[in-house]
Amino acid sequence: MKPERILRTSTARLATVYGTVVLLLVIVLQSLVFLLAREAPQREMQEVIATELRGFTEEFHAGGVERLAALLRSRTDRLGRIGAVYLLVNESRERLAGNLSGWPLGDPKLYSGKEVRFRFREAEPGSRSHPVWARVEELPGYYWLLVGTDISESERSLRRFGLATVWGVALIAALIALMGWWYSRLTARRVRDISATCDSIVHSDLSQRLHVGTRSDEFDRLSETVNNMLARLEQQAGMLRATFGSVAHDLRTPLYRLRVRLEEGLLRPEISRATRELVAPALDELDRVQRTLGTLLEIARAESGDAARAQEQVDLVALAREMHELYLPGMQERGLQLKLDLAETAPVAGQRQLLAQLLANLLENALKYVPSGGEVLLSVHADLSRAVLTVADNGPGIEAADRERAQQPFVRLQERADLQEGSGMGLSLVRAIVRLHRGEVELQDNSPGLRVVCVFPAWRS
Amino acid sequence: MRLLLIEDDTEAAKYLAKGLRESGHAVDIAADGRDGLQQATDGHHDLIIADRQLPHMDGLTVVQTLRERGIKIPVLILSALGAVDDRIDGLRAGGDDYLTKPFAFGELLARVEALLRRGAGATIATRLKAGDLELDLLGRTVTRAGRKIDLTAKEFQLLEYLMRRQGQVVTRTMLLEGVWDLHFDPQTNVIDVHMSRLRNAIERDFRKPLIHTVRGAGYMLRDEA
Repeated sequence: MKPERILRTSTARLATVYGTVVLLLVIVLQSLVFLLAREAPQREMQEVIATELRGFTEEFHAGGVERLAALLRSRTDRLGRIGAVYLLVNESRERLAGNLSGWPLGDPKLYSGKEVRFRFREAEPGSRSHPVWARVEELPGYYWLLVGTDISESERSLRRFGLATVWGVALIAALIALMGWWYSRLTARRVRDISATCDSIVHSDLSQRLHVGTRSDEFDRLSETVNNMLARLEQQAGMLRATFGSVAHDLRTPLYRLRVRLEEGLLRPEISRATRELVAPALDELDRVQRTLGTLLEIARAESGDAARAQEQVDLVALAREMHELYLPGMQERGLQLKLDLAETAPVAGQRQLLAQLLANLLENALKYVPSGGEVLLSVHADLSRAVLTVADNGPGIEAADRERAQQPFVRLQERADLQEGSGMGLSLVRAIVRLHRGEVELQDNSPGLRVVCVFPAWRS
Repeated sequence: MRLLLIEDDTEAAKYLAKGLRESGHAVDIAADGRDGLQQATDGHHDLIIADRQLPHMDGLTVVQTLRERGIKIPVLILSALGAVDDRIDGLRAGGDDYLTKPFAFGELLARVEALLRRGAGATIATRLKAGDLELDLLGRTVTRAGRKIDLTAKEFQLLEYLMRRQGQVVTRTMLLEGVWDLHFDPQTNVIDVHMSRLRNAIERDFRKPLIHTVRGAGYMLRDEA
C-alpha cells in the first residue's frame, strides 16, 4: 500500500492524534524536571553564599577590615569551599583580599546588595574564563565584599541534562511515529483485505468468504458477521434462482399452450377473415410477452452471477465492428448515421453472446428513440487496465434525475411511452451484463442526447 | 421422415405432432425421458425433438446417453430456459439445435427441415445454383443470367446461407445464428433490412423474384419455374 494511502486511513489519524498528545505530555514533563533540576542547586548556592556573607560581615564588625582580609586569605589559601570566589576591595577598587585578580564589575555602589553574574579569568595565563554567580555587600568605610561561586560545573551538567532531554523527546517521538505507522499499516492491510474480498463479492461471486483469523479480535468478529450475512444472501439468491427457474417454466408453459391454441385456431379454414384479423395481433402481443420474460430471465441470471462460469476472450473492437455491420442498414433506413470510433483491439473476459446482446440493446434503444437525421457513435477504447465501450447519440437523452431509474427493470420513462413499443428492460439488461463482466456502466449527458459508457477490466491472460 | 417428439406437456405435444404430420412427417410421441430414450435407441427415427425438462430423465441426459451409445441422429432441444449458456450446455451435450419456448410453430418447422436436410445436402459444392442465379464460392462472385451482381461480404454470406437451403423456410433467428453467429432476439427489423438490400441487389433488374417472404415465419429462396 502506498504511504499516502496509509496516511489517509482513520487509524493513521487516530495514531497521529494520540502520538501528538503523548508527545506533548512528555515534553511538559521533561521541561518540569529540567526546571526543577536547575532551580534546586541554585537555591542551595544562594543559601550558602548568604550564610558566608553573614559570617564575613560579623567578622568585619568585630575586627575591622584587616581581620576580614586575613580570614579571606586563609579561606583562599587553605581548601575552602569548592569553586568559591571572594574579593574584598576598597573605595578605589583595589584588591585587599580574595582570589579574584581585580574587581570584575562596574561601579561597586551600583551592585551593593545585589546578585550578579559575570565571567572572570584566573590570574595564571592561559586559563579559561569561568562563569561566576555572586553577591556584593557594602561594608562600612567604603569597602565592598563580593562572595560567589564558580558555576561552570553546574552549567555544564545542566547543559548535558538539557541535551539528554531533547534527545529523549526526539527518540520518543520517533518511536511513537514508528508504532503509529506500523499499526496503521497493519490495520489498513486488514481493512484492505476485507474490502477487496467484498469488492469481488459485489461483482457477483457470492460464494466467496472473508478470512477469519484466530485472534477473535474486532476484525475477526466483523469478518464473521459479514460471512454470516453472505451465507444468508447466498442462500436467498439460490432460492430466488430456483424459484425463478420454476416460475419461468410455469409461465412459459401456459404461454406456449396459448400460442399453440392461437396458431391452431388461425389454421382452421372455417374462421372468417375478420376473426383472423382480430386474433392475429394477439400472436404479436404474445411474442412481446415472451421476449419480456426472456429478457427478465437473462437479467436475473446475469445478476445472480450464474452465467459467469463460461468465460472466453472477447475483443470488443471486433464485436463492435460486427454489430455495426449488423445494425448499419437498419439505422440508415431510419435516417440515422451510425459511426465508429475504434481502438485497435480491446480484449475483455466474458461471453460474446451476452456482450453482443448488450450492444444490440444499446443500438436498438438508439433506433427506437433517436429521431430521423440523428447520429449514433459507437466507440471502443482500451488501455492496459480497462476497456471502455461507449454508445452516444444526439437524441432526446434522459433527464439526469431519471438516469438511475432508467436502469431498473420495467421502467420506461413516461414521456416516451408513446413513441415505440419496447419491454423497458433494455438498460437494466445492459447494466446486468456489464456487472456480470465486473464492469461499471454510467449514463451520461451527451448534450444533447444520451451517452452510455461501459467500463470493463481488460483481459489478463 | 419419421420424427420422435419427447415432450411431457401432452397438449403441446398433440398440437406439435399434428402440425408436423400436416407437413408430411410421421411422428411418435414419448411423454418422459426414459420412454424417449427407449424409443430413440430402437433407431427408426430420422430426427428427435426433445424437451429439456422431462420427468424421470431430462432431455440433456437423453441426448448424452444417445451420443455415448454412438447414435448420431440429429436432435433439436426445446427448452423453457433461454440463457446463453443453457444453449451452450444443450449443444455441448450433443444437441444439434436449440429452441426456446414458446416458439412459433413456423420456427420449429423451419429448424426441423434444416436439420433433416443437413445430412443430405452436405456436399462440398463450389457452385450453388437457383434458376438463373449462380454463386461461385471460390471466386466469391454472383451472377444472374450471366450478369455479374455486386454484393457486400455479408450479403454474399446471406445469399449463400439461403441458397444452401433452397426451398426451405429460413427464419430471422436462423439467419442471425447462421450468418452472424449471434443468439439473441432482435427487437427491431434489422434482419429484414439486410434481406431487403440483398433482394434489391439480386432482383432489381429481373422480373422473377427468387427470395420469398413466408408470412409469420421468415424467408425462402426458391426458383418457381
